[in-house]
Amino acid sequence: MIKVESLNKIYENGRIQVAALKNINLTVSQGEFVAIMGASGSGKSTLMNILGCLDRANSGKYFLEQVDVSSLNDDELAKIRNLKIGFVFQAFNLLPKLTALENVELPMIYAGAKHKERREKALAALDKVGLSDRVLHLPNELSGGQKQRVAIARALVNSPSILLADEPTGNLDSKSSEEIMGIFQKLNDEGVTIVMVTHEPEIAHHTKRIVTFKDGEIITDKFVDNPIRVGGDAL
Amino acid sequence: MNIFESLKSALRNLMSNKMRSFLTMLGIIIGIASVIMITSIGAGSRAAITSEFDKLGVGLLTIQMKGSNDAKLRDFLTLDDVELIKKHPEVKNVTPYFEAWGASIKLKNPKEEKSGYIIGINEEYRFMVPPDLLYGRFIIESDCKAKSKVVVIDEVLAEKVFGRKDVVGETITVRLWRGNLKFTVIGVTKNSNAALESIMGAEMPSALYMPIQTVMDIYLVDYLDYIYVSVKDPEKIDQTAIELNKMLEMKHRNEDAYYIRSLMDEIEMINQVLGYITAFISFVAGISLFVGGIGVMNIMLVTVTERTREIGIRKSLGAKNKDIRKQFLIEAVILTVIGGIIGIIAGFLGGSLVGMLMDVTPKVSLFSILVTVGVSSLVGIIAGVYPANKAAKLDPIEALRYE
Ligand SMILES: Nc1ncnc2c1ncn2[C@@H]1O[C@H](COP(=O)(O)OP(=O)(O)O)[C@@H](O)[C@H]1O
Ligand SMILES: [Mg+2]
Repeated sequence: MIKVESLNKIYENGRIQVAALKNINLTVSQGEFVAIMGASGSGKSTLMNILGCLDRANSGKYFLEQVDVSSLNDDELAKIRNLKIGFVFQAFNLLPKLTALENVELPMIYAGAKHKERREKALAALDKVGLSDRVLHLPNELSGGQKQRVAIARALVNSPSILLADEPTGNLDSKSSEEIMGIFQKLNDEGVTIVMVTHEPEIAHHTKRIVTFKDGEIITDKFVDNPIRVGGDAL
Repeated sequence: MNIFESLKSALRNLMSNKMRSFLTMLGIIIGIASVIMITSIGAGSRAAITSEFDKLGVGLLTIQMKGSNDAKLRDFLTLDDVELIKKHPEVKNVTPYFEAWGASIKLKNPKEEKSGYIIGINEEYRFMVPPDLLYGRFIIESDCKAKSKVVVIDEVLAEKVFGRKDVVGETITVRLWRGNLKFTVIGVTKNSNAALESIMGAEMPSALYMPIQTVMDIYLVDYLDYIYVSVKDPEKIDQTAIELNKMLEMKHRNEDAYYIRSLMDEIEMINQVLGYITAFISFVAGISLFVGGIGVMNIMLVTVTERTREIGIRKSLGAKNKDIRKQFLIEAVILTVIGGIIGIIAGFLGGSLVGMLMDVTPKVSLFSILVTVGVSSLVGIIAGVYPANKAAKLDPIEALRYE
């Protein structure tokens, strides 16, 4: 599904160079649920942005479903972001003037879907995250947890190959975080591949695999023995 | 993203900031409104002038000697020339025309006078410029042959001298350079100065129409100011003018001594002047359109900066550079096109108002509307391209990080 080989990312700010990613090798297979952990500044977001085709590495290779993404142009990357990747941000990143429904429809507009199809799929996605009763609300009329659920519905609506989430619970209280993790687990049960950044061990233990970063390098990569199941029933 | 979605989203954005959108449009509105107003008034007055000239007929020629410094006595137009011109087969009517200023007409109280001018013409004049006769008749052939001391005056003068209008057969006294002369009134016309007086707001001198021979005797001259010619076929008027000129040059044995103008030439000249004025004012209005376009560009740049984050979000969801470019370009074009449409309506209303004051019916052609809409969309595209490109080129990560 995802294969990254000796990936390097260097930020240059004037004379100062920051090596945000150093020789990263990582493979994520279909159906996995991976948490990426590490201290602040260790390169987690940098990796996620590259995986999400929002940014490019300085060197190394990135294969998404066997396609070498590093060789694609801007338009091709936009198409991948649109169809193959669902991205969930810490800050929700909803468009404030659009309703929940319209926010969820956005990726389909760029995919060129017809109005009716968009409506149906967007309503289905909102239903999946338990927000059928909030479809016509504006983002500022929703709680943090609800906003993040709209963002998840939006990320899922074009049925992407992979769901990327950069600290999705970072702005949420523990109850909302728990709800979001429940949604992720349900989606993963249905076969959605998820890579998620978090610095909370408690949250990370809801996933099946934890990759830990330090100073731009992977220091550990372990499967979770006994993931916490939302609703109590541990696997 | 199809065009309908783009339009909807652009309209929505503009509506969410109505005041700003309106103020941005204002420059375009004012520019377009003034262009429409000026061109509609211009076209309206042109049509009015043309129809005014049409009443006089299109088949009229004016012959005049060029008053250059080396003009010789033999070049002057005379009554013999009138006879010569009559012989041309294309000529319908010919009249000599001699105008003399400085006449004073004695009023009821002989101590009072009204200024006037004498026009000498022949019996054919009345077929060429039909007079609005109220009483009596106009100059006829026997008046000319007999050099009769007769005159045709207008109702205003009749009222001043006699206190009534039907004064055919009465005698008026006119003070001229050689003293007081008496003339018998043979006809009274409507006030010939009505239009002029209403514009100038003052009394104009009175015209006294007399037989040309009578006038020449009084002034002891044998040359004319003009010869007016009406032709049988207005289509051939240019050719006829050339031939008449040749006849005159042969007779006077000179070259390039006469102007021969048709009324069409005068209409064209007036239209040309009006056209220049319209073009000049339109140019000034065009500058305000240009300034309006800069206003649109400025606001679009502000909008792009304000919505950097939105651009990042849209890109993260799969918007291509061209989708973003289209979105902002459409917003700019909608601003200018709606501004243009409001401007057309405002210009039409303003034109009607000014037209009412100037007594002109403004004319808005479909062509000018199409051009205006075209120009305003063009202004939108030009003003929008740079900001839209700036938006499209934003790096998604940088844009998402923007606060
Ligand atoms: N745009 C940037 N310019 C310069 N340095 C950056 C930029 N983005 C991230 N960095 C640096 O790269 C390193 C990794 O950052 P990041 O991937 O955001 O870390 P994390 O998400 O793990 O907190 C940090 O040292 C950070 O300061
Ligand atoms: Mg981060």
